[in-house]
Amino acid sequence: MPRPTLCWVAAPGLEGLEPPALAMAAGLDLDQGGALEAAVVTVPEVQAPDKLRARLLGRPVQWLDLAAELGGGGEGHRGQRAAAALSRAAGRASLGTLPPLYSPQPNQRVLVAGQGLAALAAARQAALLGHPVLWALSGDDPAAAGAGEDASQVAGLAAGLPEGIELAPQTELTNLTGAGGSFTAWLKGPQGTARQRFGAVALAPGGAYRAEPAPPGLAPDLSRPLSACQPASLASAQGWRQVAILAGVGQPATAQGFARALATAYALQAQPGVQVTLLFREALVAAPQGERLYRQARQAGVLMARLGDGEPRLADQGRTLVWQDQVLAEDLELAPDVVFLCEETGAPWPGFLDNNLLWPARSRLLPEHARLDGGRTARAGFYVLGALRGTPAGEDRLAEAAAAVHDLHDLLGGGAAPLPAVRTLTCARCLTCVRVCPHGVPEHVEDHIQPAPAACLACGICAAECPAHAIAPPGWSTAELMEGLACGLAAAPAPAMVLMACGQSAMPAFAELSRSGHVWPAGLLVLPLKCAGRVGLELILRVLSLGAEGVLVAGCHEGMCRSVTGNLRARLATGQAAGTLSDLGLGPEAVSFLHMANNQPQALAKAVEAMYARLGAVE
Amino acid sequence: MHNRGPRRVGGCLEEIIFLSALDKPVLIIGGGVAGLAAALELDRRGLASLVVEKGPNLGGQARGFCCKALEVCARCGACRVGDLLQQAAQRPALGALTQALAVAAQRQGAGWEVTLIPQEGPKPTSPALALERPLGERLLVQTGAVILAVGHQVFDARKKSRLGYGRVPGVMTAGELEETLAKGGLPGQARRLAFVQCVGSRDQALGRLYCSRVCCGFALRLARLARYLEPGSEVTFFHMDVQDYGQAWRAELAEMRAGMRFIRAIPGEVRPGAGGPLAVFAGPDGQPQEEEFDLVVLATGLEPPVAAPALSEMFGLTPGAEGFLTGGQGVLVAGSAGGPRSIAESIESAAQAAASAAEHLVSGQAPSPEVAHA
Ligand SMILES: Cc1cc2nc3c(=O)[nH]c(=O)nc-3n(C[C@H](O)[C@H](O)[C@H](O)COP(=O)(O)OP(=O)(O)OC[C@H]3O[C@@H](n4cnc5c(N)ncnc54)[C@H](O)[C@@H]3O)c2cc1C
Ligand code: SF4
Ligand code: SF4
Ligand code: SF4
Ligand code: SF4
Repeated sequence: MPRPTLCWVAAPGLEGLEPPALAMAAGLDLDQGGALEAAVVTVPEVQAPDKLRARLLGRPVQWLDLAAELGGGGEGHRGQRAAAALSRAAGRASLGTLPPLYSPQPNQRVLVAGQGLAALAAARQAALLGHPVLWALSGDDPAAAGAGEDASQVAGLAAGLPEGIELAPQTELTNLTGAGGSFTAWLKGPQGTARQRFGAVALAPGGAYRAEPAPPGLAPDLSRPLSACQPASLASAQGWRQVAILAGVGQPATAQGFARALATAYALQAQPGVQVTLLFREALVAAPQGERLYRQARQAGVLMARLGDGEPRLADQGRTLVWQDQVLAEDLELAPDVVFLCEETGAPWPGFLDNNLLWPARSRLLPEHARLDGGRTARAGFYVLGALRGTPAGEDRLAEAAAAVHDLHDLLGGGAAPLPAVRTLTCARCLTCVRVCPHGVPEHVEDHIQPAPAACLACGICAAECPAHAIAPPGWSTAELMEGLACGLAAAPAPAMVLMACGQSAMPAFAELSRSGHVWPAGLLVLPLKCAGRVGLELILRVLSLGAEGVLVAGCHEGMCRSVTGNLRARLATGQAAGTLSDLGLGPEAVSFLHMANNQPQALAKAVEAMYARLGAVE
Repeated sequence: MHNRGPRRVGGCLEEIIFLSALDKPVLIIGGGVAGLAAALELDRRGLASLVVEKGPNLGGQARGFCCKALEVCARCGACRVGDLLQQAAQRPALGALTQALAVAAQRQGAGWEVTLIPQEGPKPTSPALALERPLGERLLVQTGAVILAVGHQVFDARKKSRLGYGRVPGVMTAGELEETLAKGGLPGQARRLAFVQCVGSRDQALGRLYCSRVCCGFALRLARLARYLEPGSEVTFFHMDVQDYGQAWRAELAEMRAGMRFIRAIPGEVRPGAGGPLAVFAGPDGQPQEEEFDLVVLATGLEPPVAAPALSEMFGLTPGAEGFLTGGQGVLVAGSAGGPRSIAESIESAAQAAASAAEHLVSGQAPSPEVAHA
């Protein structure tokens, strides 16, 4: 076992501490500039001086953010806390690191499937960044625009296509497996189906208009989709006098759909002899120019009818619309010559994504999630863009495609976490990791588990769930964590408690509190994690068996986990641990879980305080 | 293209070394979510940038917003600021000059030479991050492209004096409520809450003929949170229309409608009442009606940034719709500087600005960037 060295880099928040004494307390040698086997550094890698980084190259290093873990308090108090944190790091560093078992290069090719603004922008940007792009077009023309898109904008972008885009006209993506850096796609073209490998895949079908449903009972010959009145002069030609437009009545509209209804209403109203009534529940004016369009249409004479629930009612065999005016409290009637139904853009969800052996359910793959923006899905390297995602046509689609391409460029260029290490000899081939990894990283290939090269986020869910301890992202195996925690707990003054802190929510909040001088209990040991999903029942129980008197697990709010289920798994494990404790006749209050966001430091401080109050009460 | 991987140097070196160790194909003015996201997006492309922020800290206005989750995340985006700051801290090539103001710009080939001056101002509210450096002295920066991410200005509720802000006790802006809740509590015993929407937006008299897009979303989420924190409190929501924020929002909205009182009218006046602010509004029959509340919250809208005219002149830009900024040759706009945008939309727009800036660097033959002290 290497004996680690303490490399003390001074940083704000570490003032007044004595490195030699701390090194001694943590069982570390203090760096004298000599040769190093393994090291513990007091600052994150980006903050370390270049020289030190160069010296540590290729050695097992624990980069701490000691100031973030420490907090305020008297010198003795901070010294105790620093010694415990350094001991934890020392324990982990003493194990060295496992060399990666295999490290394939991520495939650099990008598949863009679809047509229209989003597909075009994605293909362009990926090619500009040097990725070989295969663009599978549903039709023949790369300049074809999707529904609602500005044809001249699309044509303009298509005119200057950069090098490196290979066009595959009339080609459909029929099946897809894999994850970031290693996808296999089945492409069906005029020459038959071919299988090809890609590093990243963007799905961006052009999209079509879909009209909202007509009110049940409306005479069928009356209703038409909104596009059917283009050009507007059609109205007079058809002899329509009373025109009704329903916008967001049969189903909720979007601001874009509503703006289009407003523009159409205005154009029709300008035709001689035509009176337009726009019927809606909410005026959705949030699209660019929306409010101006609304006022313009009203000033031009379009009648605005605001409907309540269950309206419009129908009379006269479905030929008359009836609703109550909200101010006059009187029924109003309209017998239109034609009823136009507002349209929204959309695209059908591809069938291969419904294969639940290969893909998670749509709600897991593409949840409405504040962290999964920029076209990203839960599966790293796989993007859903444009109409299929419901992104409004225009600049928003360009922005989304650009963000997606930056993300894939970063991933394929080494931005993903290092590959999880799989110990093939101990692996039981139970496929638990394949099932639980939210990002689709482990694949079962030729009777072994092979991780995709550019998709792992080091959430640690596989490591928490694998029954054989055979898989973990480097540095995150149970053995490594436990070695560190054992040393840390040995150094922490009683009562000792462990905070298992998610790196997206709890840890940034903890660091903020520490930096502003919050005084943490002396025996509080922090375990900074990438994701709370690394916490499993085993980890909690083993920490308790080492003498920790309490465990607090803190993760993101439900629906905010970057790894989708990490927080829920951690919460479940915490509940199981509490159950086990009460089965054993011990106090279940020794473990608890906190949902929080990185901007809620007070919630974390309160939970730590409450935990300590409970520990005191139990004693 | 520049991909020299400049890195920030350790804390002991002089600012000048920090600065000249960077090359800056892109200068980003404004360090809110949009500016930060633009820097990150450029870094993902392998392009270095320099963020110039006039305030003492990065993060912009959204840094003080509260989390609106009850048990489940409300997707308000407020914690994305923390995400971005954390991601930025992990990327060695990112650097930001705080308390710096761009005062002049000159075309240089396809790029710009921008003059920065130190900005006197409040001291940092939180300890500086490793990537934040206050500007010490006047500085000339040569850059291939500029991204304007100066954000929006919040409508000054005093301009609608009849709504009582600054005059009637118990009237506050939604931004103030955000900050109060972020600090962990409601002011006093607020059991009867009223929200007044569209304050400074959709208002002909003010010449604000646009919807601020985000206020229905954050106000209703704030209202729901306030109700959750203070069980038994009642919320009245004075509005014109409720805007749409997607599928999941619609389900939440249905619940909110069941739990709060929605009144489709905007009070014409708020005046002091016996036990709190008194709102006067048109009742369902069109007749004026009065009601007293403990707290009246004004959902103030998003206005063009104060710096818009000066920046437009500096970079020779034509003013955009409603007075917000639009881009030009080698000048891109990101975030709410270009129009009312939510945090999520601001972050996405930054990706497009970064991509366009990168394309400009290639096509426009950007000059070799360098820094000189003037
Ligand atoms: C009350 C209120 C509540 C809101 N709540 C939400 C919400 O819950 N969810 C949501 O998604 N959105 C919300 N928003 C919208 C949100 O504030 C914006 O989307 C977001 O702040 C936009 O980020 P930005 O970076 O573009 O601008 P800003 O946050 O305004 O950042 C701009 C930065 O540029 C700096 N700057 C300005 N001028 C200069 C200059 N000349 N030189 C250098 N630097 C300069 C500023 O100091 C600032 O740091 C809310 C808005 C308001 C008014
Ligand atoms: S969960 Fe563990 S044992 Fe099961 S297949 Fe994966 S690595 Fe092997
Ligand atoms: S650490 Fe997370 S992302 Fe990586 S393989 Fe394991 S479960 Fe998948
Ligand atoms: S997005 Fe908003 S509601 Fe969700 S966790 Fe972040 S701050 Fe809280
Ligand atoms: S978002 Fe809502 S409150 Fe804000 S201006 Fe638009 S309609 Fe009014």
